Amino acid sequence: MAHVAKAFKYGLKGITGYLEPAERELLRGLLDDVISMLEPQLSSNEDPLTAMIGLDMNVKEPSDRALLRLLPNVMKSDDAASLEFRQLTERSLREGKIGALRAAAMGLDRNELVLTPEEAKLWSMALNDVRLVLAERLDIRDEADADHVHAMQDWSQAEDVESYLALVYNFTTWLQESLVQAMMASMDRKP
Amino acid sequence: MITTVGPGTAPGTYSATNTVTDAGLKGEERTDTSEQSSTDLLSAADIPWNLVVWNDPVNLMSYVSYVFQSYFGYSEAKSNKLMLEVHKKGRSIVAYGGKEQVEQHAVAMHGYGLWATVEKANSSGDGQGRKGGARG
Repeated sequence: MAHVAKAFKYGLKGITGYLEPAERELLRGLLDDVISMLEPQLSSNEDPLTAMIGLDMNVKEPSDRALLRLLPNVMKSDDAASLEFRQLTERSLREGKIGALRAAAMGLDRNELVLTPEEAKLWSMALNDVRLVLAERLDIRDEADADHVHAMQDWSQAEDVESYLALVYNFTTWLQESLVQAMMASMDRKP
Repeated sequence: MITTVGPGTAPGTYSATNTVTDAGLKGEERTDTSEQSSTDLLSAADIPWNLVVWNDPVNLMSYVSYVFQSYFGYSEAKSNKLMLEVHKKGRSIVAYGGKEQVEQHAVAMHGYGLWATVEKANSSGDGQGRKGGARG
């Protein structure tokens, strides 16, 4: 699949972009994957009151590395305090991320993208979470790994899952970079 | 202070000079003592906490700088400086304050997908202390 998306740019209409139908399908799939990772597991014995105020006393540190990267511990060397904090905050953090991912997915119903500043912010957050998950699947641990993946630019080289994922990762990186540049340009031009 | 007020001064002023010297010494001692006790009286809640953002090979430099600008309201120059510190040194203290305040910042950073933690000021021993500072 050769991508022919146009980079996001800032102009008279605001922040605009263009994605081919196949690219929109690809992005929708990625966004949906991350949404399903983040959707909290409903437990039958959950106290509805604690759920209502956003507490989750059954929460645990995620065993999946990608999920742990999306929902990191708040303290580097205090697991007990991190868990306690997680009980208070993880649910709303998940909900916020799902909200941004859904907002981006909803914008994929047409080729032309015209984003308000708020939509652009949600898009940049959603693309970032997609990239964090892809990076974990690609085992990107350091700058050298990142460079190695970045070198994969030719879609005719996509012959296995890993090279395909690398190309998808590079596409989302390119898209996010152009979006952030457009957002910066729009911030610069504000009075 | 003592060496500048020697016994060679005019006899009429000698005792007066001694008195001043003693008072000065006592004053210094008192200052030291009061600093000591106020440190002892600081409770855990008063000790500033740092918000640390860690480097990772995924987040775009432009995006990290954008987050610092839009969330903290930092200037582009300050945001870029902090972003480069994260990138080159592996971590940067991007804000500090009370525990609840920096925890709130940490959740916001997690919302953006940045890898952030909180720690007691000076607990890392990297000597950065408050220099990383932030707007209130």
